[in-house]
Amino acid sequence: MNSTNSRIAVAITVNGTAHELQVPARQTLAECVREELGLTGTHLGCEHGVCGACTVLVDGQAARSCLVLTVQADGATIETVESLANDDTLHAVQQAMVDNHGFQCAFCAPGFLMTIKALIDNQAVLTKATLREELSGNLCRCTGYASILAGAEAVLGLTGESNA
Amino acid sequence: MRETIVGPFAGKFVGHAVRRVEDPRLLTGEGRYVDDVQLSGMLHAAFVRSPHAHAHIRNIEVAAARRSPGVVDIITGAEMETLVHPFIGMLALKGLYDPRFYALSSKRVRHVGDPVAIVIAESRAQAEDAIELVEVSYETIEAVANASDALDSRKPPLWDNRSNVLFDFANTYGEVDAAFAGADRVISHQFKEQRVSNQPMETRGIVVEIDPKSSAITVHAATQSAHMLKWVLALLSDRASIPASIKTLAINRDRVTRFAKSAKAILTAKPELKEPSPMMPAMVKQFRAEPSRFVDLQRAMLGLLAKSDNDRPEVLARDIGGAFGTKGSASREDLAVYAAARKLGRSVKWIEDRNEHLMGGGHSRDEIVDISMAVRNDGTLLGMKVSLTLDQGAYPAFPFGGSMFSQIIRVMFPGPYRVPVMQFNGKVVATNKGTLVAYRGPWAVETFVRERMFDMVARELGITAAEVRLRNIVTMAELPTPMITGPMLDVRMSAHRTLVDAIAIADYDNWPAAQLAARANGKILGLGIATFCEAAPGPPDFFEHSIPGSGALAGIEPAKIVLEADGMVAVITQQVPHGQGHETTLAQVAADQLGIPIEAIRVRYGDTKITPFAMMGTGGSRSAAMAGGVVTFAARELKERIVDIAADLMEASREDIVIEAGNVHVAGVPARGITLADIAVEARRRDQNAAPGEAIRVAQEFDGGEGGWTQATHACWVEVDLETGQVAIPRYVVVEDCGEIINPAIVDGQIRGGIAQGIGQVLYEKITYDDAGQFQTGTFMDYLIPTACEIPDIEIHHIETPSEIEANYRGVGEGGMVVAPAALTNAIENALAHLGVRISEPYLPPSKILELAGVIQTARSTAR
Repeated sequence: MNSTNSRIAVAITVNGTAHELQVPARQTLAECVREELGLTGTHLGCEHGVCGACTVLVDGQAARSCLVLTVQADGATIETVESLANDDTLHAVQQAMVDNHGFQCAFCAPGFLMTIKALIDNQAVLTKATLREELSGNLCRCTGYASILAGAEAVLGLTGESNA
Repeated sequence: MRETIVGPFAGKFVGHAVRRVEDPRLLTGEGRYVDDVQLSGMLHAAFVRSPHAHAHIRNIEVAAARRSPGVVDIITGAEMETLVHPFIGMLALKGLYDPRFYALSSKRVRHVGDPVAIVIAESRAQAEDAIELVEVSYETIEAVANASDALDSRKPPLWDNRSNVLFDFANTYGEVDAAFAGADRVISHQFKEQRVSNQPMETRGIVVEIDPKSSAITVHAATQSAHMLKWVLALLSDRASIPASIKTLAINRDRVTRFAKSAKAILTAKPELKEPSPMMPAMVKQFRAEPSRFVDLQRAMLGLLAKSDNDRPEVLARDIGGAFGTKGSASREDLAVYAAARKLGRSVKWIEDRNEHLMGGGHSRDEIVDISMAVRNDGTLLGMKVSLTLDQGAYPAFPFGGSMFSQIIRVMFPGPYRVPVMQFNGKVVATNKGTLVAYRGPWAVETFVRERMFDMVARELGITAAEVRLRNIVTMAELPTPMITGPMLDVRMSAHRTLVDAIAIADYDNWPAAQLAARANGKILGLGIATFCEAAPGPPDFFEHSIPGSGALAGIEPAKIVLEADGMVAVITQQVPHGQGHETTLAQVAADQLGIPIEAIRVRYGDTKITPFAMMGTGGSRSAAMAGGVVTFAARELKERIVDIAADLMEASREDIVIEAGNVHVAGVPARGITLADIAVEARRRDQNAAPGEAIRVAQEFDGGEGGWTQATHACWVEVDLETGQVAIPRYVVVEDCGEIINPAIVDGQIRGGIAQGIGQVLYEKITYDDAGQFQTGTFMDYLIPTACEIPDIEIHHIETPSEIEANYRGVGEGGMVVAPAALTNAIENALAHLGVRISEPYLPPSKILELAGVIQTARSTAR
């Protein structure tokens, strides 16, 4: 029973701010950003690594924060959806989604936005078809994906190409 | 094919793909969904749930769990029965037995996931640790695992030694036997729809906030109807005896007076409610058969009457992560969490996990339909006999579930076709499964069965699927004409035109040749079409034909519109948007009426403290017509009030006042205009009684006017791979008419989203129980939601039937999901027709495709 109460020291940088935390060993990174740090933009849809709503960037790579323990992220740099906009200026991926009516309920949006941000940052070479594959780890139940793909294609510069 | 989205727009907003007002908030992580509510000192709930489908509870041992770190309280089913009233079904239908049940089960569990105790702890993890320590002794009972078990009288009853057939009804329209006797052919088939589930990306959740000082209750909830949830919680909580409630009322006579006053006000406003409800005879019969039912209802009603304002919650619904019907009910868990918070006097949060949501968060469909069509050899339909068996699981959804859906299925079955006579028999059965809830067209089985059956009739008669539809669909020259089940198809019913257009777009006449040519090249292609209509919101008497007596309350849509002191306009709606974009569309409607920019409008919703009362919330494809309508008319009244003041201030006649882009001026001299803020100052000067922050307030109600239908034809092409069983969808076309479109991007998003769910139902999704009622699809690895790779591009062609009707907006929320399973299944059968394939169920994963095509042997079915 003590094991559930024991806390472990971790140092993580989240959205540019360094945090030194004492966290339970079993705490997930999603719980850490949502509950310890109050960054509730990251959403939990399934808590078993399928839906992708909780996707954040860990050292620049998209990761499901429901499957990462906070202690595993010790020393890492984390980016969440709250890091994207700069004051009132939306990040290009956010603006592209606004322009294309990307989302409806938008519960899945943070995961898509961070997945696409990683594609942009990592200069992924994509076609419309491989973009679908890259986004297939994020579930949306509202849109049928067309509007999300349109937003992603716009921000990734895939609009001119045929849908091959 | 996608709409061009427009930004700030100075002219007319309705009809343009205006950018969503919601998006800057939702895309930056600033949304506030129910799980984002964090309160200091808040406790967390987790439920102990049955691992068995059907069992007696012999004992519950909670001592060890109580000692677990962080545990504050554990409430078992027995204690819960002292805290709350049972759920009592409100639908009085002849022949319906509506079981009563509590928030937690105390003596018997009836499905895997049935809650038997609630654990309250300092953290969610601690609550979940403790549920592992609750020891429940079960004595299992044979499970009623599916509809055929429910019809088997040797199987144990779920409820009170009654038959597991809870509702048995029959409606005859016209001389059915004569029509069948005179037919060239009678063609019959049995269809099934598998159980599926809505599965919004956000599960259910509730936070019951108790103010430590005032003890006022605020319920933060992901709900489709804030007022419904408020009144259900108020009605069913704080169980008191009848004498205790009478005593409370004797001490607090003002509560009786207040009730009498508001009842009188309601009856004055809606005199039709004074008429005896058509439900009364059935209700009286229910009470006679079960006097304790009457006692339970009186006890709950008296308890509600005796409550002080402070003992009733206010509900606050902010951002909601989808619902598709599943959040339109007040759940047993909602009431259990509410009761726990009331008992402890502390705020309590419950967020359902995905496994719980798959088990018990709401299932849908799960019907068996036997249908016979009497036809002439040319395909003319002479009559139908339909027999429906609907498996609503163990606990009926509250306030409305399977019994209500069965009635809408009955009324909708003819769709937009001429059906001269119809026999409709229905049974709603109880099984040891999760609760059946509304899911995006809860009556959709009528479209699936009718549109599949037309294809089968066409094959039998050797005519095309298009021909059989064209022969029977109501043409616009015949309008208006009532459906055989009652509701009127008005002059805007353009289903025929959508069919004709779709046939042309699909180059349907050349399809057989194209299909044969492809097959010669080794490609197995299919084309399916399906046509339907949805009540969006339906003609004025639609509800009366479905559930006699329900129309008076169901039909009304209220809204308030307020010019605020700062010159902004607030649109206050009872709608509870959860993805539909009402903050944008209702603002578009109001902006056009008022002549002001979207940015000058705030749409407020979800807060029972400020929103007008209605039980319907958001659902049933109603909001475009109902909320779009009432906002149109209320905004028009507000404009009149603004113009009155402007005319005085500018010493001009009312007719000369123009409002453009927020500038109020005399026609021709915009440079000398004034703002709404100026109007607001003058209005407040004139009205000393205006509420703080408000200048002019308008409240209106709208009964839906002419109402009406949305209709569409879908055409779907498939390519079937007979090596892998995979089905690809190279093209998908929609031709639809929803009247005037408020926001094309939002309308198209609704249609595409619905079709994606329909494709999911056919190719991927099935809620599975084994023959012992054990639940088998508890994760997203078992229950497959389509991803971006599985959903094709969808071409949408809009048509709009001209009409003089004002606010000619109709909903499109459900249609995609209603008709897509029929169109896709028809396409797959068309592709495999040369192999003699007949498809009876819209669940066609690769293994099923290969079985149907005879590529692999039929596996022994262990799961139904």
